[in-house]
Amino acid sequence: MKSAKRSNALREEMELHLAEKAAELEADGMTVEHARAEARRRFGNVGLKYEESREIWISRFVSELGQDVRYGVRTLVKKPTLTIVAVLTLALGVGATTAIFSIVDAVLLRSLPYRDPDRLVRIFFNEPGVGLRDVRFSKPELDDLQTRADVFEDVSPIFEGSENVTGAGQPERLDGVNGSFSYFSMLGVTPQIGRLFGPQDFVPGFAEKAVISDGLWRRAYGADPNVVGRTLRLDNDPLTIIGVLPPGFRHPGPTVSGDAEVFGAFGGTGEPFPKPMRGTRVFVNGIGRLKPGLTLAQAQERLTATAAQLRHDFPGDYPPQAQWTIEIQPLQETLVGNVRPMLLVLLGAVILIVFIVSLNIANLLLARASARQHEMAVRLSLGASRARMVRQMLTESMLLSLIGGAAGVATAVGTLDLVLRFVPPSVPRLNEVRIDWAVLAFALAVSILTGFMFGLVPALHSSKVALSSAIREGGRGSGYSTKTGRLRDVLIVSELAFAVILMVGAGLLLRTLRDLLQQNPGFNPTHVVTANIQLPNPNEREMDPYLDAPRRATFGRELLRRLKTIPGVQLAAITSALPSTNTNPNAVGGTTYEGFTIEGRPVESLQDLRAERIRISPDYFKTLQASLLRGRSFTESDEDGKPLVAIIDESTAHKYWPTGDALGRRVRFRRDPTKPWTTIVGIVNDIKSDGLDIDGAPHIYVSTYQDSTKRLSVVLRTSLAASALEPQIRREIQGIDPGLPVFAVSSMNDVLDRSLASRRFSADLVGGFAGVAVLLAAIGIYGLLAYMVGQRSREIGIRMALGARREDILRMFLRKGVALAGVGVVAGLVFSASTASVMASLLYGVRPHDPAVFLIVPLLLFGIAVLASYLPARRATEVDPIIAFREG
Amino acid sequence: MGRKAQKNDSLPGSLDMLILRTLSLRDLHGYGIVQFIQQSSENQLLVEEGSLYPALQRLELNGWIDGTWGMTANNRRARIYKITATGRKQLAVETRTYAKLTLAIARVMGAQ
Repeated sequence: MKSAKRSNALREEMELHLAEKAAELEADGMTVEHARAEARRRFGNVGLKYEESREIWISRFVSELGQDVRYGVRTLVKKPTLTIVAVLTLALGVGATTAIFSIVDAVLLRSLPYRDPDRLVRIFFNEPGVGLRDVRFSKPELDDLQTRADVFEDVSPIFEGSENVTGAGQPERLDGVNGSFSYFSMLGVTPQIGRLFGPQDFVPGFAEKAVISDGLWRRAYGADPNVVGRTLRLDNDPLTIIGVLPPGFRHPGPTVSGDAEVFGAFGGTGEPFPKPMRGTRVFVNGIGRLKPGLTLAQAQERLTATAAQLRHDFPGDYPPQAQWTIEIQPLQETLVGNVRPMLLVLLGAVILIVFIVSLNIANLLLARASARQHEMAVRLSLGASRARMVRQMLTESMLLSLIGGAAGVATAVGTLDLVLRFVPPSVPRLNEVRIDWAVLAFALAVSILTGFMFGLVPALHSSKVALSSAIREGGRGSGYSTKTGRLRDVLIVSELAFAVILMVGAGLLLRTLRDLLQQNPGFNPTHVVTANIQLPNPNEREMDPYLDAPRRATFGRELLRRLKTIPGVQLAAITSALPSTNTNPNAVGGTTYEGFTIEGRPVESLQDLRAERIRISPDYFKTLQASLLRGRSFTESDEDGKPLVAIIDESTAHKYWPTGDALGRRVRFRRDPTKPWTTIVGIVNDIKSDGLDIDGAPHIYVSTYQDSTKRLSVVLRTSLAASALEPQIRREIQGIDPGLPVFAVSSMNDVLDRSLASRRFSADLVGGFAGVAVLLAAIGIYGLLAYMVGQRSREIGIRMALGARREDILRMFLRKGVALAGVGVVAGLVFSASTASVMASLLYGVRPHDPAVFLIVPLLLFGIAVLASYLPARRATEVDPIIAFREG
Repeated sequence: MGRKAQKNDSLPGSLDMLILRTLSLRDLHGYGIVQFIQQSSENQLLVEEGSLYPALQRLELNGWIDGTWGMTANNRRARIYKITATGRKQLAVETRTYAKLTLAIARVMGAQ
């Protein structure tokens, strides 16, 4: 009987007793009250007796549990091999699951560390009519969000970018964020030192104040408690530090490389901002806090209506074909949405591992249960109840799984830092990963569940054993009983099926990675070293030595002249965008796709003409060994004041001039009719500019001497290593301007490699898991057959005595292994085929039902299964009939 | 299991025996058992009524008696206990022990 039911019954019984006693006393002439009191008095202390009665069966349960645990420990100690194998595999399974879950929990599940994070949204402006998402917006549009749509408590435009910090020591390039003066109060942050921005700081342009991160405070200021009031030079602008953020604060958005460390604020209406006109769209990103009580859908509905109203009120600013509109997305979604598939696939992989581990242990326990049939039968005959026996065996499994789980948590705690080192830095919120109570609860749940899973089957099974046959059979160890046999077959088949699923997943990911690595990036990345420079962008224009293109061209020429003098450098070139480094297209200085016009074609039909404009120096293609297909490269004389020239890549040529020749045609950027035309002088082969796994947008290359930006990279063709060149590159660059930081000096191969970091991570991890799964499955098959051979040695002996040949015996056991492997592999393939599409977003150039993977995996696994069954099968042929008889 | 020492005024452990004996004659609910013991002892044995329930729990847990829901004479829902086969064996054992004990006591008292 259940405990609660039992307690209720007891209470009812005792109440009935009191009522009947009182009734009797009443019948004897007592008053109702007296009778009731007297009944209670005679009964004794009702509560105490109730507790005493309950204690009888509770203490029984506790003492039986104690008995079971003691007995369980004895059994586990008596069979140390089984215990060690089980605990080790559990430690692996639970450890891996816990580590991965701690990442999933921190990145995907836990709310963002801000006040009421559910109300924080990213704001996007879209033009679906021309296929554009996340276009820029103007100050009046920003104000409309606050005044026209009754949706936001607060909004802030955001500039994410990198800035040069100078002053003390080596100039550094930091990620910085500029927001509105209410940015921090909107997020709900309190500083650890000083204060954060507020309305009192308001200025129309950029405030000459800064808030710094905990990291920068410790690194650059030695955690100086009096840091407030000190001056920081950011892109030559002097900024006064007003506060330090608490450790763990992170800007809720993408940054150029790591975490933002300097925070500024701006009004957005005065210098250096243009006059606030509706059509002057200068802002890139926006975040907002919804008013309380508003659902996302309601807010979106109102914003859509607001956008429609604005299109109606200002038709000149919103061409109808663009269908300009406003969209919001939960901030959490925009931060972690792109890593979700990868993390979920990893979590799925470790959960499969846990399944396989518990199947393997179930198998071991089942084997042991058959060996213990005799013991069980004796205990049954001595009067133990079946339920009690199931409980006893489950206690043993739980004990095992809890020990394994504890070992797993210890493994996870011990290896988490190592695991995190392999997680690609593009995964956000990694700084929040830790083993906390939620993770521990998860690990406990996984342990209990696995314990139950691998314990229940053998426990139920062994308690069902018929008394008589078990005593008879168990005494002689004569056979592999069909019931146990079938159960073990099912376990092995499922184990193999799970291994197949993991292997198919790993195969698809590895194939994607291999294809990408073998892909021709369109240039020769070997023997190329790259370095990055960011020219300062001071808010005071007169402070800017790199203000216009001619000044930047002078700098570029001097830079190249000096770099070429470094011994071992054969060629040097400048580009505004290194291939495969496009981490954040919205960051200031990052890639921007620009609209352009083709001469002689109607403007209306050209709404979706967009290309990435890359500024390069004349030797760029030569340095990268990219091939110029037609026309000419840039020369030193393609400079300011000369006719504008451009080189396009093959894709651009095919896309925009599918029939004719693009050479000699003219284009104009930004569709500004007052700007001069640019003539196409060459066509170059496609270069994978946005990452090996991104089919890039069309590219138009222009001469850096005619058109340049402040973000530039140098590429050097040299046989020297990047690390050897770094000090010389730094010296030459800072020989021109000691305030310029030089960062991310690395070989081009490393740059390409880094663009595949997260693919490599998931492929390696799932591949590793698949390897473990295959190993466990092989051990499972081997164990099963070895056990069968042991159990049936007498039968084998008889067969051989009756004239069976060794091949027959070999075939008999091999057939068993092959049959199991076949069923398992087919089941796994069917399941993989029906679910592989969940991985589609992680694949590139490989279909989810890639025939090669679906052919190689089953063959490989089948081969392993045959090998794993061959070894015990061969042992069966070595059975000596005489010995087998004697032992039997 | 940790059995509580029986708080019984007369002989230790005798309550169990009395309950088993009562139930060997007829199936009864808790209050009925108390009444039966008092009446058949002509009110010489006064069971501390509250102690009945821990004893019933223990006997049931040992498999000596078995309680099922039924109706009392007054038509109220109650758990009616009946003695089981092992309970009868236990009763026999306890009766023998008790007989030996009372005989021994009687001898001691007679020798005086």
